[in-house]
Amino acid sequence: MSWRRDAALAATSARQTMSARGELVGRALFFGVLLLVFSRLWLVMAEEGRLGGVAAANFLWYLALTEWVVLATPMIYLTIEEDVKRGDLAYSLARPVSYLRAKFAEGLGELAVRCVSLGVLGFGLAWLFIGRLPDQPLALLWALPTGALAMVLLMQIQIAIGLCAFWIHEAAPVYWIVQKLNFVFGGLLFPLTFYPDWLRAISEATPFAAAVYGCGKLSFGTTTSAALTTLLWLVVWNVVNAGFVSVVYGRGVRAVEVHGG
Amino acid sequence: MKAAVQYFGAMIATNLRASMALRGAFWTRTIFMFINNFIYLVMWWVFFDEFSEVRGWMLPDMLAIYAVAAGVFGTAMIVAGGVMTLARTIVQGDLDTFLTQPKPVLLAVVASRSEASGWGDVASAVVLFALCGYVTPASIPFVLLALASGCIVFVASAVIFHSLAFWLKDTEALSRHFLHFLLAYAAFPKTVFLGWLKVALFTVIPAGFVTFLPVDVVRGGGWKVLLAALGGVVIYGSLALLVFRAGLRRYESGNRFGVRA
Repeated sequence: MSWRRDAALAATSARQTMSARGELVGRALFFGVLLLVFSRLWLVMAEEGRLGGVAAANFLWYLALTEWVVLATPMIYLTIEEDVKRGDLAYSLARPVSYLRAKFAEGLGELAVRCVSLGVLGFGLAWLFIGRLPDQPLALLWALPTGALAMVLLMQIQIAIGLCAFWIHEAAPVYWIVQKLNFVFGGLLFPLTFYPDWLRAISEATPFAAAVYGCGKLSFGTTTSAALTTLLWLVVWNVVNAGFVSVVYGRGVRAVEVHGG
Repeated sequence: MKAAVQYFGAMIATNLRASMALRGAFWTRTIFMFINNFIYLVMWWVFFDEFSEVRGWMLPDMLAIYAVAAGVFGTAMIVAGGVMTLARTIVQGDLDTFLTQPKPVLLAVVASRSEASGWGDVASAVVLFALCGYVTPASIPFVLLALASGCIVFVASAVIFHSLAFWLKDTEALSRHFLHFLLAYAAFPKTVFLGWLKVALFTVIPAGFVTFLPVDVVRGGGWKVLLAALGGVVIYGSLALLVFRAGLRRYESGNRFGVRA
């Protein structure tokens, strides 16, 4: 029964996301702009023969995959932060629906719409700007499960950020930092293979690398075992983060119960 | 004119006092924005460590363009933070309270808010200018003029994008994303942009006037480049005034009762 309720919440959220066209179109255009800018960069590097024999297309498709994961993840921390700050969360505690589960379901609805729309547009534009698929196009099929798990992982991190509002009034500064750590450790713009060994080692120990680089590196080709290993890591990080979010939420709610919402 | 400048100065001073009144939030946002800017630069450090240059554009140039972008954006947020919510102000009918004041409406709206995070950007700009190695005591007046011109073009572009709300109504998300595009181009190695894209960056998305020309001034471009940058101020400043005035004639009151002290 509760699954049906979750599905209804997700469907409502998906409809709301589709109706908020400005945000969706804005993200899509931003995705396009980034791909255009970086296609220029990689084409220049390829013209000058400085990519060591690797096709410029692989690098642009890398960005298309990493940005797809990042841009499709809903900004769910904003609504959670708002609910905590305004005290709306306190009212939801009395309802027979878990607040956390409801937010997760709503986030999944939003994520589904963005995942499909940005995926179709982003991959189409990557093809248009660079004129071809990566060297091993079939590896892109792995992007479907990898991307989905990566987006769910990043969404869980967003939930944790939103819950920070229990203790610090504004979660936005925490979001900025986590977002940039995601960009750097995840290898948003450039593959982790460019990184010096020490930074690469740190990056690979974070969930950001599993989510962003894990999906992006498929543009350089993969094997079944490598793709399955990436998926396994994503499952592990999702479980770890789910546990972390539950603990943070439990502590936050106790603070609300003690001090009042 | 003198009265308008005095009014603008008074608005800025009042907003500064207001944002600094919440001392904790002010320092949190400032420090986090400062860290945020440097984390992002790590990716470009990785890139230039791998490739050393892109058509003559090297890491110090990247530091300089980031310094300009941070300085321009930060200053805009401090002195004209209201521009980032202009579309919402228009759509929600909140211009009513500004229209009743005996002051220039556009000036009053853009100067009605000051974002504390802008100070973090300005602090980043100072450090980045010191690190890039291009700024000398003799060049400081040029650098400040270049930053001022970039800032005015940025605010003028924001006014134009947000004024779309007079005609298209709910365009806040779209207007916000337009500014993100502008910043995406503005903090990129400019040597990769050629042909029609370069033309677009000096017209539709004026990143050329916001950072490209100012950064050339910082790199020792001299008077001619500075004059070209100031030309952008005249063009985009006039265009912003024309578009806002045309939009204001279509403005429908929100029937709001309110007073701004």
